[in-house]
Amino acid sequence: MSALVPLGAFIALSAALFFIGMAGVLVRRNAIVILMCVELMLNATNLAFVAFSRRLGLLDERGSVFVVFVFVVAAAEVAVGLAIVLAAYRNRPTVDVDEVKEMRG
Amino acid sequence: MSLDIVGPLLFGLLAVLIVGAGLGVVLADRITTSALLMAFTFLNMAGMFVLLGAETIAAFQILIYVGAITVLILYGVMFTPQAPRAYGLFFQKQTTPGALIAAVAALPVMVVAFAFRDAASGPPRGGDLLPLASSLFTDFAFPFEVASVLLLAAMIGAIVLVKRE
Repeated sequence: MSALVPLGAFIALSAALFFIGMAGVLVRRNAIVILMCVELMLNATNLAFVAFSRRLGLLDERGSVFVVFVFVVAAAEVAVGLAIVLAAYRNRPTVDVDEVKEMRG
Repeated sequence: MSLDIVGPLLFGLLAVLIVGAGLGVVLADRITTSALLMAFTFLNMAGMFVLLGAETIAAFQILIYVGAITVLILYGVMFTPQAPRAYGLFFQKQTTPGALIAAVAALPVMVVAFAFRDAASGPPRGGDLLPLASSLFTDFAFPFEVASVLLLAAMIGAIVLVKRE
């Protein structure tokens, strides 16, 4: 079905979403939005994995296996990340990363 | 309309929706809007996986990202109520350098990405469930077990972090 779409289009879309997420991580103040942007970046890498796996992995689905592991790591990351945000919020009621100064070294 | 045009059309539509919703996540004023736009991005990404012929991954994507992670994020939003604030406090102090760094890093990657000109998928095959499962449970059996230990550790860690004394 995607025979006419070049591989580069998928990789470019993946890169675009990755850098949108990266810009979000760098510019937003809200810690929960930063977590969402990290999820966007992880999902963008998934698209690159699947695209290359479809093109190059003619015998098996090794690229897709890595996508499954990215899913696992993303789930673990968002659970622990939100727990840290909630713990910091309980200490001081803000999710603003500019205001949380206690964690500075 | 011949069937050959459907693939590129679908790709264009999904790409526009993904990039638009992704920008919306970064730029939306309300955090709930950001969360729902994130879910929308993930849903369109599942469509992209179907377009690539990875139906199992698309199903996982909907189950894990659109279902579990979005609900988890919405719980996080619910438990951290914020007073409404001025849009000027919306971005960090280092917004301009941050956006510049992202743009400068994006440029060479995009140039390299467009160098892959051959078609994205080879000849059509059956579903991807069988090859995926046979790879996962033979060659990647040990990483699979490590991943389950990671999930257990993350679950215990999250419980310990949010537990009240």
